[in-house]
Amino acid sequence: MDRRTVIKNLALIIGGAALLPACSQDKAKSKVALKNIDITADQEQLIGNVAETIIPKTTTPGAKDLQLHLFVLKMVDDCYKKEDQQAFVTGMGHFADQSQKLYSKTFDQLDTKTREVFLLDIEKEGKAEEEAARKNSDKKDAAPATPPAGKYSPELKKFYSIVKRQTINGYTNSKYFMTKEVVYELVPGRYNAHFPYKQKQAV
Amino acid sequence: MSANTYDAIVIGSGISGGWAAKELTQKGLKTIMLERGRNIEHIKDYVNATKDPWEFPHRGGRTQKMIDDYPVLKRDYPLNETNLDYWASDKDSPYTEIKRFDWFRGYHVGGRSLMWGRQSYRWADVDFEANLKDGIAVDWPIRYKDIAPWYSYAEQFAGISGNKDGLPILPDGDFMPPMEMNVVEKDVSKRLKEFYKEARHMIIGRTANITVPHNNRTNCQYRNKCWLGCPFGAYFSTQSATLPAAMATGNLTVRPWSIVTKILYDKDTKKAKGVEVLDAETNKTYEYFAKIVFVNASTINSAWILMNSATDVWEGGLGSSSGELGHNLMDHHLNVSAYGRIEGYEDKYYFGRRANGFYIPRYRNLNGEKRDYIRGFGYQGSASREGWSRDIAELNIGGAFKDALTEPGSWHIGMGAFGETLPYHENKVTIDKTKKDKWGLPVVAIDAELKANELKMRIDMEKDGKEMLEAIGAKDVQTSSTNPFLGRGIHEMGTARMGRDPKTSVLNEWNQVWDAKNVFVTDGSCMTSAACQNPSLTYMALTARAANHAVEILKKGEI
Repeated sequence: MDRRTVIKNLALIIGGAALLPACSQDKAKSKVALKNIDITADQEQLIGNVAETIIPKTTTPGAKDLQLHLFVLKMVDDCYKKEDQQAFVTGMGHFADQSQKLYSKTFDQLDTKTREVFLLDIEKEGKAEEEAARKNSDKKDAAPATPPAGKYSPELKKFYSIVKRQTINGYTNSKYFMTKEVVYELVPGRYNAHFPYKQKQAV
Repeated sequence: MSANTYDAIVIGSGISGGWAAKELTQKGLKTIMLERGRNIEHIKDYVNATKDPWEFPHRGGRTQKMIDDYPVLKRDYPLNETNLDYWASDKDSPYTEIKRFDWFRGYHVGGRSLMWGRQSYRWADVDFEANLKDGIAVDWPIRYKDIAPWYSYAEQFAGISGNKDGLPILPDGDFMPPMEMNVVEKDVSKRLKEFYKEARHMIIGRTANITVPHNNRTNCQYRNKCWLGCPFGAYFSTQSATLPAAMATGNLTVRPWSIVTKILYDKDTKKAKGVEVLDAETNKTYEYFAKIVFVNASTINSAWILMNSATDVWEGGLGSSSGELGHNLMDHHLNVSAYGRIEGYEDKYYFGRRANGFYIPRYRNLNGEKRDYIRGFGYQGSASREGWSRDIAELNIGGAFKDALTEPGSWHIGMGAFGETLPYHENKVTIDKTKKDKWGLPVVAIDAELKANELKMRIDMEKDGKEMLEAIGAKDVQTSSTNPFLGRGIHEMGTARMGRDPKTSVLNEWNQVWDAKNVFVTDGSCMTSAACQNPSLTYMALTARAANHAVEILKKGEI
């Protein structure tokens, strides 16, 4: 089977999957060769959509255009510990379930706005927990904190934080970003210690 | 004269070995430089030096396989995807840690001269006099005036860029034009000087990156990819500087894959007659003969070679008669840092990647001050604008976030301290006969730790870092003090110290082994104390000085 056929079949399978119930056992594999984790084409699409929500296509390329979701998978497969890989896969399941529970739709079916609301809510909960843990560690005699039961499981938050971190890593180190968005030169040839800079926008 | 006979043998090809080879060959000696690892040819073998960041499959990061393969290297920054081939294999060459010691090695032609940090500072008399004044260990057999001309000699050839700052604690050298501080560093430097009434200084780092063309080497191109090997030869390494000079004489032979297992000692003449080499590719043993031997295998391995040599005469090996061989292992203690945010300067940035930072020279225990510890520390750091990793409030995902990633964040300043470690007799390396490396050779056991003086110093290193950053106006200052272990400084020193008395030192004032005068040890192992400055420039100067002496006395027939 040549590459074109594979991609076409994959598109059919992915397209078809959307019509099936969420529990469908889709065996189509991810496009990227993975040694340690098992990722289906459905799951790859889910990661693609999460990455695309973080770095969307605007007037410039987005996560999918730059194949950042495949970079995320490559990093998870090669660079993360077994337990993190397991948490990633488990968390991805929880993520899909939570989308159904909260919005009665798969993440892929959500509109962009709702996807953003979903992801930001996960970030908010993660940050609140970090803050609580930090405050707790400041108190000397405090009893060990019992994390409040949030909406999102630790694995789900782990999954999301890995996708986000590696999506941004992949984006800011992509050829596109480094040649078109910021000026990276392999050989700068000089050091300008007083480089004037005008903010493109309020940050 | 047999094919295996030379005038001089140099064991090791790193910073000091390269210098020994250059000096000896330029003075007309037929020299063989033995390197335990593979050859790395200048430019041609810097395979990753011209890759763009996106060409690395993991963008320079580390994979689980790398982490499994490098149980020691993984402990700190050296384990990475971009120059993995330059670090010795922890699995092929294991060692025993009686106490934790992070030993990061380069086993190839050029050694760690390819990956070194390049910061190059002279020592001052306060450093050479310290042991005597404090009653610690033994006195250095030399003073600043003995080494000063050799510092100049080394600087002129290596190419050290720096500013003449006129500080007694850090003597000025023969510098190339300095690199420039960025706008924030310049202001911070001024504020620091004012706040401490000129008792503390922040200067531009003095670095072995050339800022003007020099000996067919191109000046620094501000790539900051030095540790991949420089295609411009812009930083000092064996490959860029000493090796071509030595090769140009026609007197040098380089033999890679040559593990020196011992120095061959002649009881009758009380001199070394050569070395035994284990070919790392074929496992065959060879002997090489010469009138003089320079030992530059790096501090711990040089001690290992000496301890393996002449054991029929001295149980502890060549140079052990004083009882100090392998002892007094030092490093600089690191992993104490301070970090803060600098407000303003939003309309200022910098262009180019400067492979250098600022330096705050030692200020403690000087001019009559007495802390609850002796000696001192310096800081190295830089100010820069944050990149994408920053948290952009309320813009954590989506199109606006994507745009914001292209903007530099606020200015930050960070710096880490380098503390002096004292020479303790009980901080030592020995041979562990129970464990063998890939070649069946017994490995070294390292037994060294920081003691009370260093641990007290670390409290100041952290406290002062915070105080200084707050004094210059940094906000949200954070400090960190972790891993109080040796090795991480990658400045191993002291296992064959110089001294004035054969009863208490391994080497004399000319780096000659007291027990075999034609053996010279001029790498970090010769150091009698550690100071807190980066030591490589001192090795260069000591090596050139010793080589000059070696050839003089060889000509006089004294060795």
